[in-house]
Amino acid sequence: MSSEIAFPSPQHRRHGSSAGQPLTRRDGVLKVTGRATYAADNHPEGMLYAVTAVSSIARGRVTALDVEAAKAHPGVVEVLTPANRPPLSHDPDDKIPPFGFRVEVLQDDTVRYVNQPIALVIAETLEAATEGAALLNPQYEVESARTGLENGERFDTPAVGVGAPSRTAYGDIDAGLAAAVRVTEADYVTPPQYHNAMEPHAVVAQWDGDRVTLDMPNQALALSCAAYAAYFGIPAGNVLIRSPFLGGGFGSKAILNGPQILAILAARMLDRPVKLALTRAQMYGPVGHRGQTWQKLRLGTDGEGRLTALHHHVLAATSSFDEFMEPAANASLPLYASPAILAEHDGLRLDTGTPGPMRAPGEASGSAVLEVAMDEAAIACGMDPLEFRLANYAETEPGTGKPFSSKSLRECYAEGAKRFGWSGRPLEPRRMRDENGFLVGWGMGTAVFHCPHFPAEARATLRADGTALVETAGADMGQGAWTALAQIAAEALGLDPDQVELHSGISSLPDGGIAGGSGHTASAGLALHNAGVDAIARLAELATADPASPLFGAGNIGVEARSGRLHRRDDEGRSESYSEILARAGQAEVVGTAKAARDPAVAEAHALFSHGAVFAEVKVDPDLGQVRVTRLVGAFAAGRIINPRLVRSQYFGGMIWGISFALQEEAVTDRRTGRIMNADLAEYHVPVNADVPSLDAILIPEDDPYVNPLGVKGVGEIGITGTVGAIANAVWHATGVRVRHFPIRLEDLLVNQRDVTSAFGN
Amino acid sequence: MIRYAKPKNVDEALALLSDGPWRILAGGTDFYPALGNRPLSENVLDINGLSELRGIAEVGSHIVVGARTTWTDIIRRDLPAAFDGLKLAAREVGSVQIQNRASIAGNLCNASPAADGVPPLLTLGAEVELRSASLTRHLPLEDFILGNRRTALQPGEMVTAIRIPKSATAGTSAFVKLGARRYLVISIAMAAARIVVEDGIVAEAAVAVGSCSLVAKRLTGLEAALRGLPIGPALAETVAATSLPELAPIDDVRGTAEYRREAAREIVTRAVLAASGHHPLTKVAA
Amino acid sequence: MKHSVVSLTINGAERQMLVAPGSTLIDVLRESQGLTGTRRGCEQGACGTCTVLVDGKTAMSCMLPVETIEGAHVETIEGLTPPQGLHPIQEAFLQGFATQCGFCTSGMIMVAAALLAKNPNPSREDVVRAISGNICRCTGYEAIIDAILDAAVRIRSAAHAEAA
Repeated sequence: MSSEIAFPSPQHRRHGSSAGQPLTRRDGVLKVTGRATYAADNHPEGMLYAVTAVSSIARGRVTALDVEAAKAHPGVVEVLTPANRPPLSHDPDDKIPPFGFRVEVLQDDTVRYVNQPIALVIAETLEAATEGAALLNPQYEVESARTGLENGERFDTPAVGVGAPSRTAYGDIDAGLAAAVRVTEADYVTPPQYHNAMEPHAVVAQWDGDRVTLDMPNQALALSCAAYAAYFGIPAGNVLIRSPFLGGGFGSKAILNGPQILAILAARMLDRPVKLALTRAQMYGPVGHRGQTWQKLRLGTDGEGRLTALHHHVLAATSSFDEFMEPAANASLPLYASPAILAEHDGLRLDTGTPGPMRAPGEASGSAVLEVAMDEAAIACGMDPLEFRLANYAETEPGTGKPFSSKSLRECYAEGAKRFGWSGRPLEPRRMRDENGFLVGWGMGTAVFHCPHFPAEARATLRADGTALVETAGADMGQGAWTALAQIAAEALGLDPDQVELHSGISSLPDGGIAGGSGHTASAGLALHNAGVDAIARLAELATADPASPLFGAGNIGVEARSGRLHRRDDEGRSESYSEILARAGQAEVVGTAKAARDPAVAEAHALFSHGAVFAEVKVDPDLGQVRVTRLVGAFAAGRIINPRLVRSQYFGGMIWGISFALQEEAVTDRRTGRIMNADLAEYHVPVNADVPSLDAILIPEDDPYVNPLGVKGVGEIGITGTVGAIANAVWHATGVRVRHFPIRLEDLLVNQRDVTSAFGN
Repeated sequence: MIRYAKPKNVDEALALLSDGPWRILAGGTDFYPALGNRPLSENVLDINGLSELRGIAEVGSHIVVGARTTWTDIIRRDLPAAFDGLKLAAREVGSVQIQNRASIAGNLCNASPAADGVPPLLTLGAEVELRSASLTRHLPLEDFILGNRRTALQPGEMVTAIRIPKSATAGTSAFVKLGARRYLVISIAMAAARIVVEDGIVAEAAVAVGSCSLVAKRLTGLEAALRGLPIGPALAETVAATSLPELAPIDDVRGTAEYRREAAREIVTRAVLAASGHHPLTKVAA
Repeated sequence: MKHSVVSLTINGAERQMLVAPGSTLIDVLRESQGLTGTRRGCEQGACGTCTVLVDGKTAMSCMLPVETIEGAHVETIEGLTPPQGLHPIQEAFLQGFATQCGFCTSGMIMVAAALLAKNPNPSREDVVRAISGNICRCTGYEAIIDAILDAAVRIRSAAHAEAA
């Protein structure tokens, strides 16, 4: 019956709906009053505190721990070490697909990186646990740390990132290079970076028989439940994760980590709730980071500045015991037209914690370098960088020839360049100065990000009072998911968002997929949309089958849901409110459910990407090398925009991450010991407000009829791509100095003290 | 068993100090970061009850800054132009929250080579008042800070005040800080200068640099070279041409030695020009 | 370890508490007073998320030994929030989309409260300096600065309305 009811397309329903309108953030009141509860705010009765003791060496063995001293400290309840750690039901050295990592949970006495947990001290108070951990006084057998290119262990890897191919070849790269008039070739380095979400990782674990409740920030509720269930030998349904708020995640809260598993284990062992919160310093190790890369780019160009070959080789660092590597070279696959493209990766094992996905994993480091290389190639061809990119514009996906589901990159280039004032840019570097004598430079970069779609489920309940409850286990780590998802659901339900209550952030709800890969709004959103459509269909069945309804018999014609009423499609005047329909049917509610996933045929037939263009202005103090980004203009096309203010915030956030990638962020490792010398927020620099320039993010309208029925792409990560290269290229344009490592440091740019006459064209 | 004591007056504090080792706690803003994740292990002498140690007063031939005086106190206090450099430095210590709590003596006792307060105090000829139960002594600041995290503080002593001779409060001063971030940043290098100009001629020059040696240093050779010069381009030329043997920078997370050496000369130039009222670029680009 | 008794006025209410030596104000607020709106971010004064007001001035509660402020008036985000509705600064943050993950928000708002109490008509520069010790990793600084300026307007116009 419901299949016969015709529903208007999403485009139609946009009228009079809230989607596309900037609503106040739903979580705002709780956040501005401090009442939003983050994991560490929970304090169940009888709770114990756990503190991890962590290794201070990068490689070797723990030979002794003074467990007696720790246990003798007043308040200490238990000390977990490899000697007494209760068994787990799943081998921690065996990965759980699809996003599983090997975890360090005291399975033996080996030390594989600095800050690895080597014991867990559980006590009645945080002070006692902290003191107990300090009393352990570990002794080590130290092996020399592998910390860089010179002593890391190279290996071939079949996959990078999360199951992405490590080598992709289109065309004949050697032939392409041989056919080139010019080959621009250079080596680049990107540093290790740490997510540093403001909220440190925390968990409060409480067991009740074989059921466990976990208060923890989590970006992937259903997957995490399944993984914890495996470790603890219980059904996934017995794991309840509550993650109503995340104080930022950026990828680091999508992956299970050793300290949290140990705290959950301790709670079961002691049969009391246990809280564990990492310190800032302890976040530099067991909870992932963006791994270091060494990249080589070779760009062959013909006489007209068209690419004949694009070769991107990446040596990507990972840990000694796991395999996650930045899929950086793959950033060169979807963007520029070239008859030959080769993207390939090798691995380098270092004594560090395992890297993991960090905002735009792969794309960020790969695009940073690709966009600099493109700038270098443009200069070699004597072309304006934008003109050069347009000359290599990919009308279809390079290599595969697939059409893009939508691609408005030309519009992004045009609008961005116009807003920025790019057309006045001199080709040569060091031609612009401001009134204070600072060197001024302009640079640009292309932004690109793929559009993943995670399977998700949702439930929508229309209630007798005409309001709705919609539910999906999603995650809001600051991006505004609660608001945008409620808008999507409200639209499907023909209600005002104020009439829609959204429940999310708890794993007992229908699986909301993963808040990552910039795919959450599309994935959870489509599930909510479909659930809303299902609920309306069921409601319509009630109405059209009821002789007392003005909609009786409209089944074949169809009804439209708008402003809390169903309207007959062919007769606006005939309508009935949801409450009236439910009341007459004697039903308290009608429930719609849905599962949503990407139609494999869509991905088979189309290349699915968001695009953008970023233009940067920097000012460089020629005597001190200090760089200030003074203007950033980004123009992005990411399909349909649900909430422009939230989206603009995401673009700004990504662009500012681009600034800090280009100029600030770097974990500096002591080459001898493997220790990170700036494992804090004082010397690991993330931008403070004074570092942030005037920002402009242009939302380029884009209709995508294919990517998913909502037409929504992703916006969370694309801002960082393009921006890094744009800034580095602007620095070159200001100074004539081509810096090929990130971050660009002050000492790279003491322009007045150096001879840079050879700067132009390398 | 560690002890905690909060004396009500200086004599009581000194009596306690004569009695055994204590860690003196004022604003606490260096105390906790230094502690890291370790529990407290020293006796703590909390001097926040010593109201007599907070404030700025003229006492005879000196301006006396109480040990507990905060950076915010200094920023808000009306002081001669010779203190402008110190005020600029005060605004660069950590963040506003830290400036509200952190004390001037704590900055000195912590003896970090990157302490922002030290170079401007050196240009003011500051001396440190040290008291014990039996003795009060005054040490020039140069002689108080001995090395990285090392001071001349003896067992039983505490810093009670920073004294600035009025004779050193002539002229105007400036401070230039170089960091890799615009704010909330530990200095790569910083320079302070105080210049007294008479009839367009440098009558007196005091210049100091921090973060470029174990201890912040006065650049005495440069000061001598600047004296007698006319205000104008000659100042920058002289900074460029004078050797600065006091600088012995090292490589660290914040910057390389080579960079520090080059950049230090530039910020010294800017501080000198700013103090002589002659240069627009007191604020650096980033 | 000898515990000592410390008296503080927290959000207007006098409190006496037994504290271990070296306990920080944030320990007391979060663990014994249940005031979890103050967030722990870095524990070394480098991020500002734990900012509260001590005698009207901003302070990082993560490195403030509670014994050192015996007798002080402490105000937290819970104290700033009126019994009904929102404080104008909170309203401005809400309307201005100045929260993202929300973890830095309490600290930002307390900094704004101290600034506006002292300077009801701040310039953009004043605001920038005031929040320069507070890190927002979502990097929503522009919206936060705008919200604080908007809050100043809201507070001034409310004062005008009252005066009239």
